[in-house]
Amino acid sequence: MSKKSKYWRYLIWLGPCLLVAGLIAGLVTGEWTVLPIIFLVIGLGIIIFGLITFGGAKNFFARRSTQAGTNAIVASVALVVILGLINFLAVRYTGRIDLTENQLFTLSPQSQEIVKNLEQPLKVWAFVPTPNPADQELLARYSRYGENFEYEFVDPQIEVGIAQRFDVNLIGEIYLEYGDKKQLVQSLSPGEPISEIELTNAIAKVQRDVLPKIYFIQGHGEPLLEAEQGGFSQAVASLEKSGYEVEPLNLASLAAVPEDAGVVAIAGAKRPLIPGEVSAIQTYLDNGGSAFLLIDPNTNPGLDSLLQEWGIVLDNRIVIDASGTGSVLGFGPVTPLVRDYGNHPIVADFANGISIYPLARRIDTNQVVGITATPLIVTSEQSWAESDVESEELEFNPASDVPGPLNLGFAFSRPVSSTPTQTTPPPETEAETPPATDEEITETEAEDLETEETANEAENNPEARLVAIGNSTFATDGWLDEQLNQDLFLNSVDWLSKQDEKSLSIRPKQPENRRINLTPEKAEIIFWSALVVVPLLGLITAGIMWWRRR
Amino acid sequence: MRVIIANIIAIFRKELQGYFASPLAYIVAVIFWLIAGFFFVPSLLGPEGIIQSVAQRDQLGIPGPPIDVAYEFLRFFLGVLGSLVLFLLPILSMGLYAEERKRGTLELLATSPLTNWSVAVGKLLGVVTFFTFMLLPLIFYQAIAFSAADPPIKLAVPLVAHFGLILLAAAILSLGMFISSLTDSTILSAIMTFALCLFLWLIELVANVVSGGVGAVLNHISLLQHYNNLVQGIIDTSSIVMLASYIILGVCLTAISIEALRFQR
Repeated sequence: MSKKSKYWRYLIWLGPCLLVAGLIAGLVTGEWTVLPIIFLVIGLGIIIFGLITFGGAKNFFARRSTQAGTNAIVASVALVVILGLINFLAVRYTGRIDLTENQLFTLSPQSQEIVKNLEQPLKVWAFVPTPNPADQELLARYSRYGENFEYEFVDPQIEVGIAQRFDVNLIGEIYLEYGDKKQLVQSLSPGEPISEIELTNAIAKVQRDVLPKIYFIQGHGEPLLEAEQGGFSQAVASLEKSGYEVEPLNLASLAAVPEDAGVVAIAGAKRPLIPGEVSAIQTYLDNGGSAFLLIDPNTNPGLDSLLQEWGIVLDNRIVIDASGTGSVLGFGPVTPLVRDYGNHPIVADFANGISIYPLARRIDTNQVVGITATPLIVTSEQSWAESDVESEELEFNPASDVPGPLNLGFAFSRPVSSTPTQTTPPPETEAETPPATDEEITETEAEDLETEETANEAENNPEARLVAIGNSTFATDGWLDEQLNQDLFLNSVDWLSKQDEKSLSIRPKQPENRRINLTPEKAEIIFWSALVVVPLLGLITAGIMWWRRR
Repeated sequence: MRVIIANIIAIFRKELQGYFASPLAYIVAVIFWLIAGFFFVPSLLGPEGIIQSVAQRDQLGIPGPPIDVAYEFLRFFLGVLGSLVLFLLPILSMGLYAEERKRGTLELLATSPLTNWSVAVGKLLGVVTFFTFMLLPLIFYQAIAFSAADPPIKLAVPLVAHFGLILLAAAILSLGMFISSLTDSTILSAIMTFALCLFLWLIELVANVVSGGVGAVLNHISLLQHYNNLVQGIIDTSSIVMLASYIILGVCLTAISIEALRFQR
């Protein structure tokens, strides 16, 4: 080998480099313009030229070195192919173990379940030009659990056809396609990640044939469902996102609760309901319905007969929270911050999260046979129910006040069979009288095919459910998105509408709350050893070695 | 089989003794310790460090989302080490074969009765062991810091994270060893190794732009993603297989290139 050709030999490596550059450029842009093709041609040219130049000398292909070189190339290619195949298999059949304490990188069981049970192919279309890794991770996690789950990131400005099919008008919209149904999941602002909760709820919703209906009773000074000061518009929006249909209900003009009611909510009524309305609700409950009562202090919704039947006692005293935790968030003593919850599916995974109830009343219960009552929301030790709010000093007065912890909310359930017999006769209009016996219920349900789950529930284990909370403000606009308020609200509705097996709202994964409390001595040890001792020891050793080498 | 293992151990011991007697290896270790220390101390103890900033948040009493200081710090620090290893390890791997070439001992190795790949495995084991020695002080600092964690930390995630770091280092060193066997210039071999690793590190950026099968392949080739999986505490079989593939690829290519060298004359 002459010296000259030795350096020329290195130039041959330019060939493969150009080849790869051309390939990547072509693949990245997705179109084979002139530049990548020029790169490819030049790269190939250099390789061929090199082979001829170094091979042209002295019957190249007969030399032993060439054979050895060819062997080496064949062996290398075979090696790469084998490793490629192994990796292909490894990707196809991936096993993952999530060692993080709270399974931060694993889908919640609800999401896993819903993807496993998909009956038809479901595709998530994310109209995001530059997908962020977290979103890709999340969707890849979903697709690991079910064959029927697919996803694709699309740039709506390039794939105009697809974007038009979904009528995309903003970048960052996420759509579901299930059979012939299309549904918006989220509209992401730049940098916002896709949320597992939204996606799973949307998947649950898109699979339902009939949306369960939530009726909010109106006409007694309740907050409106529209966006207004203290209205329920956020609550309604979040319910609709979770796959419910929400409608106002004026019982006075109907005389009976509509048959398609999943839940009837009496939220923040300021004036009493008339007895006819109350008895309509009682009849509905006797037939296995569900009611959601949000009753503020200093109001009387006139539900006494119903409350008595369920053993609910409304305490007129206002809950005072003297723990001072609320002051950080700017809340006074009449806004209790709750961190303790009962043992119930609604609050199962709240741990010690916070929910906030501005101006709340205590709820108490009497034992009633056949009714299961579970406390949901429990205030702190440093709270009490204050009878005299007018006084200058808020302080606990053992004579008239009730010491904490206090219950602000309960969940009740009652099997339909044990319905008390003395139910008020249903109002006169025959046509709208709800069926009074179980048999008739199952028949009409089977005919109407109203939400399958409810039908199954009613057949297997019919029970009436009721949730009573001594505050309605927590669910109004502006308060709903505080801390866990929305979770509590949605989970209550899920449980009441008997959808709780399906999609109890999933809470975002949260890491363990851990601190490092270093003593000053330990901090000193770390400081000195990391910055001085260890590097110095290394230097000294290096010096010694160098000295010995000399 | 026993002969082969004995050979590997013999090479491994010779290499290891070489490292512990070489000033250059210590200098690399010192640089590594210094830079790692400069990241470790301020980001943990400094006024802008994680302990201080979380303590301030707690004092204000803002009930924010829970934060796992130990876990956050582990992820941050091992992320730094991952990038640091990328710069420093080519210096360790550059001499693996290039030195032998210089000294003219490569022909001896190539024609010795030892199989080429067992030499390669022995050399790789030696340099990975030296890297593990370099990690020891850092593990010591972390042990002190995490011993003060409240509630006490579970060891699974830190162990997997450090295992991932050693696996990443082995992959880089293995590829570096192959490049070192191609050339007799140590500097060139270091630069080439660094460039190759940087390419494998950053290929993910390209992969994110390319959609479809090619994108998925490029994404899988990227070192960064697999390393991050392990650092976060996820044991993903495909990540481990990919990193192991790099190690095997480096060793086998080295063996093939030495084999071909016999007939280069």
